[in-house]
Amino acid sequence: MDVHMATVELEQVSKTFGSVNAVNTLSMSVPEGSIYGFIGPNGSGKSTTLRMIMNIIYPDSGSIRLFGETITGMDNEQIGYLPEERGLYKNMKVREVLTFLGGLKSGRNVGPEVDTWLEKFDLMDWAGKKVSALSKGMSQKVQFIATVVTKPALIILDEPFSGLDPVNMETLRKAVLELRAAGTTVIFSTHDMNVAENLCDYIFMIFKGNKVLDGTLESIQNTYRSDTIRLRTDGGVSVLNGLSGVESIHDSGQTQELRISSMSNPQEILSQVMARTTVKSFEITKPSLHDIFIRIAGDDEIGASHA
Amino acid sequence: MIFLSALQEMMRLEPAMRKMLRLTKREYFAVIKTKGFIAMLILLPILMSGGFIAKKISESRIDTSDKKIAVIDHSSVMAEALVDASEQRNKTDVFDTETGKKQRPSYPIEILTPNTAELRKLRLELSDRIRNGDLHAFVEIGADVIHPGADRQASRVAYHSKNSMTDDVRGWVEWPINNRLRSLRLSDAGIDESEVKDLFHWVAAEGLGLATLNEETGELVDAERTHGIEAIGIPIFMIMTMYMMILIGAQPLLMSVMEEKTQKIAEVILGAIGPFEFMMGKILGIVGVTLTAASFYMIAGIISLNIMGYSKYINYSLLPWYFTYLILALLMYGSVNAALGATCNDSKDVQSVAFPALIPLISCMFMMGPVLKEPMSEFATIVSLLPPFTPLIMMLRQSVPGGVPVWQPWLGVSGMLLFTVFLIWIGGRIFRISILMQGKSLKLKNIIKWGLRG
Repeated sequence: MDVHMATVELEQVSKTFGSVNAVNTLSMSVPEGSIYGFIGPNGSGKSTTLRMIMNIIYPDSGSIRLFGETITGMDNEQIGYLPEERGLYKNMKVREVLTFLGGLKSGRNVGPEVDTWLEKFDLMDWAGKKVSALSKGMSQKVQFIATVVTKPALIILDEPFSGLDPVNMETLRKAVLELRAAGTTVIFSTHDMNVAENLCDYIFMIFKGNKVLDGTLESIQNTYRSDTIRLRTDGGVSVLNGLSGVESIHDSGQTQELRISSMSNPQEILSQVMARTTVKSFEITKPSLHDIFIRIAGDDEIGASHA
Repeated sequence: MIFLSALQEMMRLEPAMRKMLRLTKREYFAVIKTKGFIAMLILLPILMSGGFIAKKISESRIDTSDKKIAVIDHSSVMAEALVDASEQRNKTDVFDTETGKKQRPSYPIEILTPNTAELRKLRLELSDRIRNGDLHAFVEIGADVIHPGADRQASRVAYHSKNSMTDDVRGWVEWPINNRLRSLRLSDAGIDESEVKDLFHWVAAEGLGLATLNEETGELVDAERTHGIEAIGIPIFMIMTMYMMILIGAQPLLMSVMEEKTQKIAEVILGAIGPFEFMMGKILGIVGVTLTAASFYMIAGIISLNIMGYSKYINYSLLPWYFTYLILALLMYGSVNAALGATCNDSKDVQSVAFPALIPLISCMFMMGPVLKEPMSEFATIVSLLPPFTPLIMMLRQSVPGGVPVWQPWLGVSGMLLFTVFLIWIGGRIFRISILMQGKSLKLKNIIKWGLRG
């Protein structure tokens, strides 16, 4: 097996709905065994792209290859899919619905795997209860299990962490890492840039149907200068107004991020701040993924103009 | 060569079929296991025969208070006829011969002398007495009834009561009057009644069936009297159960598909199975449920008929046709309902599409009467060959004694098959496109566009 084979390959894929160009000549290559982050604002074409990979929607043009082969409808046994809008049969019992969904996908009895996962997620007590009895966090975990129970080689998770509390998020995060360690390729989309930064090997950003970022976090950040100062001060954001050389301020409460212009000298800005207040921490850095996202999607232009 | 590639195609599709059948199995048991299904199975016949039961109950609760009839006899020879008849009726019809209990009201007669001067005032007085319940009705017998002439009013019998059109008593009153009229006319003509006893014997035409040849024994089998059960009871039973089954089978599909769409289960399922298999899996689940219920009713019906002694009227050759029509009808109406359900976003949408989708089915019910009466007419034949109507109307025509020419049901089934395949194909496309579309209110023309262009 070719270790460099891309699990998923999109080539110039386009999809239009009526007059809306949802996806525009998109090309993407997901390396095998990686955790591939797929980010983008709402309505940017993320879900459409994922559905095309799943062959639920058909592209208007371009080609999609999975595991090296052009996809046909029935090949998705090897793919686990967790859609963004997801539900379960409310009247079925937890174990029943998991065995049903797993059996539907794989054609075999996945009972043992179901039990392993329920055990791992601490849901065994709920195995015999109806889905309607589960809390939101629990049902998200059950949905995740449904996605992975057939041991697929590729899993696609559309916003898997939405609405989860930190504990549950951590559970899922660990599960994803374990799956990757076992060789599974993971594509997941998220709005949480921290998670994306920490978890993903590769980041792909889509904006208005077009690709705007594609690569490892490092390579993406390297296309930006170190034009960000991250600092914490006693005075907080109020003392930072009107500093010369600062293009914008992003306030996170305790910390602030300053975007400085290409002409300014960070040392000089530091002295300005020190003159106004006590500095607790000061870091000259490349913009965070969060910042990059906003720079791209916050403006109307694609591709941030960065020197 | 074609056969081989067809085989290859089927092998390729085999995992898809198995996935579909897994879905079917889930859908089937999800319904069968509910208490609602068992309840419906038992309640439905009770509901459908509700009218019949209500009639029986009302018959046993007849009001037995006497209905007094006042008689104004201008002919002066008729009144006693009514009195005699009423007394005779009291002896035979009013009281139960075994228990002596009063079963029906008696009709006491009050004879009034007609006073031509005060006739209209008398009529008003009698009408008021009817209004306050003292009288049930009054009868005015014209002077010329024995030999009716030009004067209409004098030649007739006028029956007055609150609801004279639907009044049973009005019908009863005609008998003694006409019998007496006959006797009087005979004696006027100088004929002795006893010599012409069968003058008024009305010979009814008895309904019999057809002579047949028993193919096994070679024996000629004489025609037998047709029975209401055979001519009307069984055909109606079959068509009513099929109607019920289609209605109750196909309708829930609308709701179920809409719910799966709005509860976001649809996309989860689509991650495992194609949209066409998804739709067909659900439809086949409904087919399974309905066949289970239909078999239950057929078996119950056959057993009841046997118990009641009507087993010889059961035409077993109809059963395969019945189930064929039922299955095709469910596929037909089911695919329409599943496709429409995919376009709905809430129960309001469901309500607005539910009725139009059922119009062909419901219109069959209105056509039942004419078709039953004239099964071989051009109207009945043509309608029975139109696929939306075939299951009910052709079934009805086939179950009436006499049946239909052999080629017609076969043509009907072929038509249904083609039409059903077409509907499933279009329905599948509409289903695939609309199941994931949220929020937009879907217009009919869009739906048709998707159906045709995919």
